[in-house]
Amino acid sequence: MKKIIIAAAALVLSLGKLHAFCGFYVAKADAKLFNKNSQVIIARDGSHTVITMSNDFQGDVKDFAIVVPVPVVLQSGDIRVVQQIIFDKIDAYTAPRLVEYYDENPCRVYDRLMYAPTSVKSSRADTERMVMEDEAKANGVTIEATYTVGEYDIMILSAKESDGLKIWLTQNGYKLPEDAEEVLDPYIHDGTKFFVAKVNLEQYKANGYSNLRPLQIQFDSPKFMLPIRLGMANANGTQDLTIYGFTRRGRMEVSNYRTTKLPTDREIPEFVQHQGLFGSFYTSLFDKAWRSEGRNSVMLEYAWDISGSQPVKCDPCPAPLVSFRELREAGVWWIEGNSWGDGYTGELFVTRLHARYSRDKFPQDLQFIATPNRQQFQGRYVVRHPASGPFDCEEGRQYQADLKRRKRLEVEELVALTGWDGSKFGWYFGGGEGKSGGVGFVEPLVSPDSAQSMLAMTQSSDSGLPNDDSVGKVSGTLGTGSDAFIARAQKSSTKSLGARMVIFISALGLLLAGLLVRKRIPQIRAGGPAVRP
Amino acid sequence: MADGRHFQILYLGSFLLFGVFNLGWEVEALNFLLVVGSCLLVQLLFAWYHGLSLTTLKSAMISSLGLCILLKVNHPSTAVLAAAVAIGSKFLIQVEKKHVFNPVNIAIVLTTLFTQDAWVSPGQWGSDVALLFFVGAAGLMVLLKVGRLDISLWFIVTFFGLEMIRSLFYLGWPADHFMHFMTNGTVLLFTFFMITDPVTTPNHPMARILFSVAVGALAFVFTHVLYMQSGAPIWALFVVSPSTLFLDRLFAYKRFSWQTHPAR
Repeated sequence: MKKIIIAAAALVLSLGKLHAFCGFYVAKADAKLFNKNSQVIIARDGSHTVITMSNDFQGDVKDFAIVVPVPVVLQSGDIRVVQQIIFDKIDAYTAPRLVEYYDENPCRVYDRLMYAPTSVKSSRADTERMVMEDEAKANGVTIEATYTVGEYDIMILSAKESDGLKIWLTQNGYKLPEDAEEVLDPYIHDGTKFFVAKVNLEQYKANGYSNLRPLQIQFDSPKFMLPIRLGMANANGTQDLTIYGFTRRGRMEVSNYRTTKLPTDREIPEFVQHQGLFGSFYTSLFDKAWRSEGRNSVMLEYAWDISGSQPVKCDPCPAPLVSFRELREAGVWWIEGNSWGDGYTGELFVTRLHARYSRDKFPQDLQFIATPNRQQFQGRYVVRHPASGPFDCEEGRQYQADLKRRKRLEVEELVALTGWDGSKFGWYFGGGEGKSGGVGFVEPLVSPDSAQSMLAMTQSSDSGLPNDDSVGKVSGTLGTGSDAFIARAQKSSTKSLGARMVIFISALGLLLAGLLVRKRIPQIRAGGPAVRP
Repeated sequence: MADGRHFQILYLGSFLLFGVFNLGWEVEALNFLLVVGSCLLVQLLFAWYHGLSLTTLKSAMISSLGLCILLKVNHPSTAVLAAAVAIGSKFLIQVEKKHVFNPVNIAIVLTTLFTQDAWVSPGQWGSDVALLFFVGAAGLMVLLKVGRLDISLWFIVTFFGLEMIRSLFYLGWPADHFMHFMTNGTVLLFTFFMITDPVTTPNHPMARILFSVAVGALAFVFTHVLYMQSGAPIWALFVVSPSTLFLDRLFAYKRFSWQTHPAR
């Protein structure tokens, strides 16, 4: 029996566009920049955070630069480059998935397997030439540190005022978007530093990579947040951000916005499986859900306990399990490897959040909390393939009647989830015997808005078998100084009493004090209006 | 005169339903049932032991609804524990027959601190303005019956005032940054329903002002110095609650009673 794997994709890929993470991309030319979809991995335990920023930089712009607000000055051992492939792996693993089932002909008995899908590989960015810029200081801007890590030249800046920072960036020929100051000022007043990275052309050529690799930073700070407000500065409309959160005990949640689950476990018509329609199905579903929640909610796409001891690390599994080395590459420092293979020991929970934000609905940066919430969630959509005939028994005929009803319900479900025009799908349950996508299949007319995203999905669709070769493995040479990086993380997450425990003990102290000295407290004020019975 | 607790039960109940059906909270019906059932049961046991009337079950009902709305747990046993702590604390941590900690407050603090199984979701309400209105109006109505509006107002003035100064003037964020904070449902619920518990707050008006300002200031400090994202006001109230022991001595005043309190 041939294993048919269905492609399921969660990312909307915009080809030929620039993506910016929490910083903003500033360009030399006066090009209009669009921030579409970025990905970031956050690993958090205690007050230590590791953030990895996917680099989807594409396009013709000569100069690349990223500005990311960070809470402290980073040391050189706190920065490294990692491989882009970890994003592909984690994305594939956590993406909403399409699952197919095959009905049994009630008059026959067949051997059936459950099929698990895989996600679509993202297309790679084109090679960009980067030009190294000279450093220039402006008034009030202090260059706290300078490093070269991988193919990047990195500087950590602190500024006294946004004018100074603006001048410095402008002197380098970068035009700031109009609204950037509105956001730079609060960061500067809060003592936030700015992590600036550009490409070192010589290193870039010497390394032989054809793409820009993701940057990964770590720091100790009680702050647990993503500074998305800066990225809104040069945004037109909305931006998408997919966040993969790795924590120890349970889900990572957003604390200052609502987190909503996407509709899941729905049965949808067969034809969604074909011609890359699942991608546009999902983007429409997401869009509709996001709108119906008031456009100010972060959507939950996946939450799963993937601790080392967990036997069921996914169900169904759209991609190979994320290995120990890949998790270490992603910045998860508290797990330990097994002596054999890619396994690991230690507690681990992965949360996938998808935020679509705009300036008007998201006035604050995203703040997070690590909760002990261990409820698992996945985006799962089901296609049932009808059995093939002949149906020459009583149950068979009953099955055919039920099938027609079921197909109608599937279309209703599809319309409810995506907002597509249901009248276009009448042919699906119109008549005829149940055939799995065979004769009589007509390409469904889809709504115009999803046509473009459907195009994007089809172009990047890859319906090959998901084996390690196709998705790729993390190669032997991990990022620069990777062991040192992880070692620093392990050292820094020390156990402390915890603020809450201190508060609790203080409250107890106050209670005890109150009980002990109560009788000796003099009365300062007394009286009040007489009580009416 | 109406018992203010009836209104509280009504409004808390509707908030719970709103959260579950409109906001799509993930809920385990079992946990809710256990919380409500355990609260009532424990209250019943203590009431029988102390010879109290069954009207005290109303307070237990209010506590259970507050727990259902605010506290989230994985395992049902934690839900039962929280309920037991909430009601038990009323009888076990008492001074001169007045309990020291708001039951929901202490249950949240102890379970989030000592079990690895409980948490508060501050973002569960979102920030729609309609909600602000709803919670605020509902809260006001209840408080008018109960008469502890001054605590809410002083808390708001302190906490929101400090937040506004910091966000708007000191840091320079645009106004909607602060407005977003003001419309957080968890903070509003705390403002109108938790801190205003008439039994666990001081009696004298002057003392109440000191109390609320202290909670507001401490909540601000916890948020921005300790970076507590979930429940800074809850913890602030917990720390300040024992001060009623001092304040009720310094400022002598008649104590609150649900039955005899005149509705203002």
